[in-house]
Amino acid sequence: MLFHLEGVTKTYGAITALDNLSVTVPAGAVGLLGPNGSGKTTLIRTLLGLIPVDNGTGAVLEMDFHTRQLDIRRMVGFAPEDECLFPGVAGVEFAAYAGELVGMRTKDAMQRAHEVLDYVGLGEARYRRVETYSTGMKQRLKLASAVVHDPKLLILDEPTNGMDPAGREEVLELARDLAHNKGMSLIFSSHLLPDVEAVCDHVVVLGAGRLLAEGRIKDLKQFHPGCFEVRLKAGPAAFARRLNNLGCTTESREDDLLLVRVPDGHSQQTIWQAAADAREQIRFLRPQRSTLEEIFLKAVERP
Amino acid sequence: MPIFDQGYQHWSGELTDHGWRWLTITRHGVRIGMKNRLLRIALLIAWLPAAVLAFFLCVWGLLEQKSDLVQPLVPFLAAMIGPEIVNDPKAYRVEVWTLAYDYFLLTELRFSMLVILMVGPGLISRDLRFNALPLYLSRPLRRIDYFVGKLGVVVVFLGLVLVVPSLIAYVLGLLFSLDLTIVRDTFTLLLACIGYGAVVSVSAGLLILALSSLSRNSRYVGLFWLAVWFVSSMVGTVLAAVNEEHRMHHQYKRAVEAEQAAQAARPSQVAHPVQPEKTPAGSKQRAGPPQVDHQRIWADIQREQREAAKTDWRPLFSYTTNVSRVGRHWLGADRSWEKLAETVPAEERDRYLLENMGAQYPWYWSAIVLAVLVGLSVCVLNFRVKSLDRLR
Repeated sequence: MLFHLEGVTKTYGAITALDNLSVTVPAGAVGLLGPNGSGKTTLIRTLLGLIPVDNGTGAVLEMDFHTRQLDIRRMVGFAPEDECLFPGVAGVEFAAYAGELVGMRTKDAMQRAHEVLDYVGLGEARYRRVETYSTGMKQRLKLASAVVHDPKLLILDEPTNGMDPAGREEVLELARDLAHNKGMSLIFSSHLLPDVEAVCDHVVVLGAGRLLAEGRIKDLKQFHPGCFEVRLKAGPAAFARRLNNLGCTTESREDDLLLVRVPDGHSQQTIWQAAADAREQIRFLRPQRSTLEEIFLKAVERP
Repeated sequence: MPIFDQGYQHWSGELTDHGWRWLTITRHGVRIGMKNRLLRIALLIAWLPAAVLAFFLCVWGLLEQKSDLVQPLVPFLAAMIGPEIVNDPKAYRVEVWTLAYDYFLLTELRFSMLVILMVGPGLISRDLRFNALPLYLSRPLRRIDYFVGKLGVVVVFLGLVLVVPSLIAYVLGLLFSLDLTIVRDTFTLLLACIGYGAVVSVSAGLLILALSSLSRNSRYVGLFWLAVWFVSSMVGTVLAAVNEEHRMHHQYKRAVEAEQAAQAARPSQVAHPVQPEKTPAGSKQRAGPPQVDHQRIWADIQREQREAAKTDWRPLFSYTTNVSRVGRHWLGADRSWEKLAETVPAEERDRYLLENMGAQYPWYWSAIVLAVLVGLSVCVLNFRVKSLDRLR
């Protein structure tokens, strides 16, 4: 179990940031989704034991977050959302200092700082002062500082904010690698659904401090019976008309993708037959699944 | 492109306990501070008074042994601190050591203010500017660790300026005296130096941290510090000087009038001749009845000034005066001056003490002022350096 919360409520004056939140999340890569103000950052701070909650109990990595905050923070690496730096140091000193603050010995921290900077692709810039780093480099430096002590759980709060596409892809690749190949659990907080989908296999959707949806992404992306995604060699318009005549409903999506719903009692064979009759070449056909975006929107729009 | 890319490797080392985590912050701050060339130069210069102190203590040690090495210096020392003291150096050992340390610490206090100006302003303000607090507080650290770690930076540098040189000078003085009774006589000086260093470090350290937390721009914080240092000193000095001048004027006027009234009541009595002494304020002789005994009046005024100085609160406005008042009390500087004053003629004793002893109000007044400043600093720090328990 990665973390477990039971009836957690946190208020700031009249604002309820977490509202009787109960959730149990298994180890692995977990996406934390929610619109701005949904309580993602408050949840992360709660998990780190940085804030006292009004009500509720919980544990992170089997450690009670009320009583073992410092132990939790030893086991967790956290890269905050905001641009934040230890000023006046070079990249390698920054990462080493981050390690020392967790409790690494100076020599170990420095050695490890070199390793993680190489890993995140900042090896060439390790002796440059951090104030001169670009936004992407700062994000990678924060990631390096978060993993310098090899935590069991890595928490990334909006790690791709303000990054260009190439830099974003690099950070996602690093997060994916850590979570899937290095055995590190990950909480990936973001409002960018493709980022979460690219990295995580479990998702927690928050809205107004409440749990809106939670589960494995694979399970949440349900099959829609009788619905298929079809892509043809030629354009979809003529084929769509032919399918409509057969009683199917069609909807064109971007990238020449055709969404087809066959009538009850029919199967995908109807589509194959229609293509054969029209001498159309099907390039792609698969049962339709919900996208993460649909899951998210459905969860957020739920009253 | 690396020739051999190892990728991510797990780390299996041991993490240290939480207890000394603040030391990491201190060590980091000292490392950053020592990168400043100006600071390194200032620290070197700050050791010069320590060299002078060590030299003086060594000379005194040799003087106690009647060493030929220091005989050429005897006339000079006699002129400086009095032949009676130089002729019997062992009898005045404690006083001379105490006052040597007093002068040394007073000088080093100024260097301390300068060192704090170089080290302190950026300690928290830069963290605020670069938003470093979430990085600290999301690690196994408490706010108190953060504060203690930052305070430790100031303590280390002030220790280098105040305490370490004091200890080295003490050891050198001891070695050259070749007399272990000196430890028995003067070990309290060591304790006083350490205590003084602690008072300066904690009070000035917390004050600069509080100021540093008030702005994200460390230049402004530096200006705040200069204001605390110079403006408070100027205010304290000016208020005390104005009050002293005012008091002296009234005392003189009252004394002259009393003298004249007394003479008027005894017209046949022969008055003392007018002394060609300078008047209190350095002004010209008053145009009055010529038979006034100015010397006696002046001595009375000096005595009254000394008494009044014991309750004059105006120097309390000066931060450095407060710090040095506590330090001088712990050193026992006042007692030493009183003992040395016994070597000067009785009629000059009050003037001698008034000129040398500085602020005379009770030392605990300054201790209270410093305690209040410490309390205020802690409140400011608590208010300005918040935990992450807030909405963004």
